[in-house]
Amino acid sequence: MLKFAIRRTLYMFPILFGIALVTFLLFNVAGGDPAAQAAGKYATAEKIQEMRESLGIAGPLHEQFFGHLKQMATFDFGRSWSTKQTIRSMIFSGIGASVSLMVPVYVISLILAISLALLVAFLRGTFFDGATLVVSLALMSISSLVYILAGQYFVGYELGLFPINGWDSSLIARWQYLVLPTLIFVVLSLGSNVLFYRTVFLDQMYQDYVRTARSKGLADRVILFKHVLRNAMIPIITVVVTQLPFMILGSLLLESFFGIPGLGRMIVDAIQSSDFPVIKAMTTITAILVLVFQLVADLLYAVVDPRVQVR
Amino acid sequence: MKVASISSTAIDTKSKQDELEKGTSLWADAASRMKKKPVAVVSFWFVAFYLGLALLCALDLIFTSYSVVNNDIAYQAPTWAHWFGTDVFGRDVLARAAHGTVTSLTVGFFGAGIAMFIGTFFGAIGGYFGGKIDDLVVWLYTTVDTIPGILLVVSFSFVMGPSLKTVCLAIGLTAWVGHCRIIRGEYIKHRDQDYVQGAAALGAGHIRRIFLHILPNVFHLILINFSLGFVGAIKSEVILSFLGLGVEPGTPSWGVMINDAKQELFRGVWWGLAAATIFMFFLVLAVNLFNSELRDALDPKLKNK
Amino acid sequence: MFKTTKSIVQLVILTATCLVISACTNSCSQKTSSTDTTLHFPLASTIKGMDPIQSNSTYSSRVVSQIFTPLFEYHYLKRPYELVPQAAESMPEASADGLVHTIKIRKGMKFHNNDCFENGEGREVKASDFIYSWKRLADPDNRANGFWIFDGKIKGLNEWRDAKSKGEADYDTVIEGMKVLDDYTLQITLTKPYYQLYYTLAMEFTAVVPKEAVDKYGEEFLNNPVGSGPYVFTEWVRGSKITLDKNPTFFGQKYPSEGAEGDKEAGLLDDAGQDIPFNDKIIFYEVVESQPLWLNFMKGNYDVAGIPKDNFDAVVVEGELSDDMKGKGIQMSTYLQPDVTYIAFNMKDPILGKNDKLRKAIAMAYDSATSIDKFYNGRGVKAHSPIAPGIDAYDPEFKNPYVEFDQSKAKQMLKDAGFPDGKGAPVLEYATTSSSTARQMAEYFKQNMEAVGLKIQIASVSWPQLQAKIKDAKAQMWGIAWLADYPDAENFLQLLYGPNQAPGPNGANFNNKKFNKLYEQASALPPGEERTAVYQKMRDIFVEEMPWVPNVHRKGYSLRHGWIKNYKPHAIKANSLKYFKVDTGKRSELKAKL
Repeated sequence: MLKFAIRRTLYMFPILFGIALVTFLLFNVAGGDPAAQAAGKYATAEKIQEMRESLGIAGPLHEQFFGHLKQMATFDFGRSWSTKQTIRSMIFSGIGASVSLMVPVYVISLILAISLALLVAFLRGTFFDGATLVVSLALMSISSLVYILAGQYFVGYELGLFPINGWDSSLIARWQYLVLPTLIFVVLSLGSNVLFYRTVFLDQMYQDYVRTARSKGLADRVILFKHVLRNAMIPIITVVVTQLPFMILGSLLLESFFGIPGLGRMIVDAIQSSDFPVIKAMTTITAILVLVFQLVADLLYAVVDPRVQVR
Repeated sequence: MKVASISSTAIDTKSKQDELEKGTSLWADAASRMKKKPVAVVSFWFVAFYLGLALLCALDLIFTSYSVVNNDIAYQAPTWAHWFGTDVFGRDVLARAAHGTVTSLTVGFFGAGIAMFIGTFFGAIGGYFGGKIDDLVVWLYTTVDTIPGILLVVSFSFVMGPSLKTVCLAIGLTAWVGHCRIIRGEYIKHRDQDYVQGAAALGAGHIRRIFLHILPNVFHLILINFSLGFVGAIKSEVILSFLGLGVEPGTPSWGVMINDAKQELFRGVWWGLAAATIFMFFLVLAVNLFNSELRDALDPKLKNK
Repeated sequence: MFKTTKSIVQLVILTATCLVISACTNSCSQKTSSTDTTLHFPLASTIKGMDPIQSNSTYSSRVVSQIFTPLFEYHYLKRPYELVPQAAESMPEASADGLVHTIKIRKGMKFHNNDCFENGEGREVKASDFIYSWKRLADPDNRANGFWIFDGKIKGLNEWRDAKSKGEADYDTVIEGMKVLDDYTLQITLTKPYYQLYYTLAMEFTAVVPKEAVDKYGEEFLNNPVGSGPYVFTEWVRGSKITLDKNPTFFGQKYPSEGAEGDKEAGLLDDAGQDIPFNDKIIFYEVVESQPLWLNFMKGNYDVAGIPKDNFDAVVVEGELSDDMKGKGIQMSTYLQPDVTYIAFNMKDPILGKNDKLRKAIAMAYDSATSIDKFYNGRGVKAHSPIAPGIDAYDPEFKNPYVEFDQSKAKQMLKDAGFPDGKGAPVLEYATTSSSTARQMAEYFKQNMEAVGLKIQIASVSWPQLQAKIKDAKAQMWGIAWLADYPDAENFLQLLYGPNQAPGPNGANFNNKKFNKLYEQASALPPGEERTAVYQKMRDIFVEEMPWVPNVHRKGYSLRHGWIKNYKPHAIKANSLKYFKVDTGKRSELKAKL
């Protein structure tokens, strides 16, 4: 087990190098010369040169790459071009907002999707199963942008059930602003979630242990809730763990439409103002987070199911 | 020497026939199963309808009015002349939505196509050769996989500048990972099987074995993944349009229509959003349903359901 | 495991029920108690920061101007716009040659209370603080957006800037043209006459900042602004909202007692002579998407709003506010903005720059009247030259023959340009930003050009990318707008002055000897008929050369709820919020109806 853990951890390094390489190629090489956008209403050539130097994009490529690696190692990505804040402090101030949106969103949609999927798996082959399948696919066939526009217009404005958008720095007063985006997110992710967990459960239903249990004469209900659910927990936990980084990253669309000052909103702003350091930092940091959580998921999996170590 | 080569050719042909029969029976089997399912048939015809619509639009045979500007009738509500009203330039929304099919199918086909091509290629060589090559392939897709898809797509569009080509490329270059993983797994399974070993014994080179022998046997998986990627690509186009990184201005696109609705909806102009959503809904739903039926028909594990 | 699932299901049902029940009992619109005078003000954009030397956007200066005070401001009510003292005690005294200006500042004016000061109490503002603030503006390390206002104008300032960049000077180095005579008296010496000087001293760029705060917050001063204005910065939830509180130590300005014609009848003088500001708090909301901004205004959550273009017809009927809106107590103001939108040509481009007939053909093929209807709901005046209404050299009667939309004349001109029916003309690139409206405008331009046979390719990029393209002289054509910094035609004409070429403000790279000479001549002239005549000569050269297609001088339409008193639109200065007064009784009454 320890050997596996060490080997698996060491394997992170080539991937980290890969992440560094890809982001570097994208932003420093292919991205062209972003310093020209230093510009205000009245920028001068000398100002642009100053900018270039202050960004560390004036030297030769290998020096720039070294600088990029250093940034990754120290998690110090410098300052945003547009807001002049350190990117680190921007991330810290955005995480809270993103998390307070994404945690309820993930928890609610997970519970809802798993309950529905269990029900569907229990009733597999019936009309209800087929109908859920079709409805789920139908829910997936509408663009998420449509859910947001329609939700904001009908629920927020026409019906006036919840505030249309907004934010409050206090956690307690914040909840009313979170209801509508949470609702929308749960609906728009429900389809794919139900289908995914249905597959997970059905996968388990064809395993040998289910056949054994059935031959022992156990009721379908008992098999499903006792055996299948327990065994399905392993893939479910894996998925949840690997999705954690996206919980922190927040939602690009929801945050910009609902005025939630999280990291998703920050990324959209950065895209719209060509704020390269921020986009670069966010891409790199998320990649690293994903990598770390994948490691955690793999290790968890190995603890639960020793067979994986053989792979 | 000569004799050997002749005989090898003969056997080679035979083994190929075996495969073909095997392949044919799998497909024929699936096809007959599909035909019995009304959902599969209906969704198939829906997809076919969209293909026909796109073709006719692309050839400019129907809905030719999609780019006819008439500023006097801007933002007209639905009438008998314009079933889905008109847009900001008085252009027929229905015609634009219909022509949006061309854009969407292009993005779908090329986006998913590029992803499929890259994924299959890397998956095949990685799975087939194993060793260092496989390590490299796994390293590559793990790296790309850790970077969040949307940020990667955005970065690509950023660097290349927005256009239809960029959208296809950006989606293609980022969406191949899942595909690659599956194909690699299949090739690992297949590479040691008798028919491949047999072909090797008879002198079939690596390239022949990879593309002529194994590929037909994993083709159904490629197809299933392609249709999934197709749907993903169409939906990504909408998000890219929202971020201002979509197709060139003027090109009819559902993404642009939906995106414009954020300004139009609350003045009561709902028809642009409605038309784009309806067109997209039925296409994506049909592909999704067809995909799900196809998987049931082709996936041996769920066969006995 | 079985048990957990069951309780999880129960939990879901419970949570869902709770959410639905309590959803609206709490509040669906913001709580406003009957004594709460908070002003809720939406900004249709996020802002980058609140440092005065960088406040070059209308949105950021809206916030900055509540926190900071420059020496002068515009009279709130009088029109045409008139400068009055703000941080200054009185208007300056100028020497006979117009080069030396002596300015007295208010006594007893204090900076905001802030941790950067001893005991957290703001100290008195001295004349030296202004000099410090202006050096900050000129400091090359700060890369200030606003330095252009002083560039080459003040004796010794550019030399100080150069020396500072070499490390040979610092903030203690005395600059000849910026002297402190005593604690409350400043003296500015110019290199040459600069008749726009007083205007620039009313711009946020020149507002006074305390050295203590800059030293304490460093690069993050823009997130922790400390000034001497009517409101104190309290909190900024970046990307969401900015809260300002009334400054308890504000130097005591009064609401004006004189106004323009009709102001008295409109009730704008009801509060004459009273202490400002009236409201205890301002909350600015950064709302990028127009749908939530509009819906929140209609719910009464925001006090004011512009009219979204796509919503205009529902709101304004034949130039008047619709009955539905009136019934809700909403009021509307309209005013001509001193601005111009235009399509610029890059004069360095080998095709467009060398062929004035091609430029004229494009101008004549462009139907700006329809574009005003379509994109501005008719809210605007067709532009014939760069000079905007409300400014001395603007002549409403002036007609530019090349902006009269006429496809047959355009085609003839195109033929004269050497491209009959567009044959032989290369595909031209029109650069634009990627927002919905900008994209539609680009499409519209393309349609107009295709009607006469010219092929256009649209390049849609982000705003900074567009700016970069212009600065590098790589763009061919692009649509852009200019809003006056001060009411003087010079502010528009400098956009075409040769030495200001890209990366300077002259993005079109127009370089005409006669035009440049006239520009230099005009800058040495005091405001008056003679100078206006020179400006008009420059305008005529513009018409002959057509480095731009002038499109529209926009008209502002602003809406406010009936509970906002003392509202008068001001097209140049953004600091008017201190005059607004929230009528709390009326607010609860009207809001109940929304």
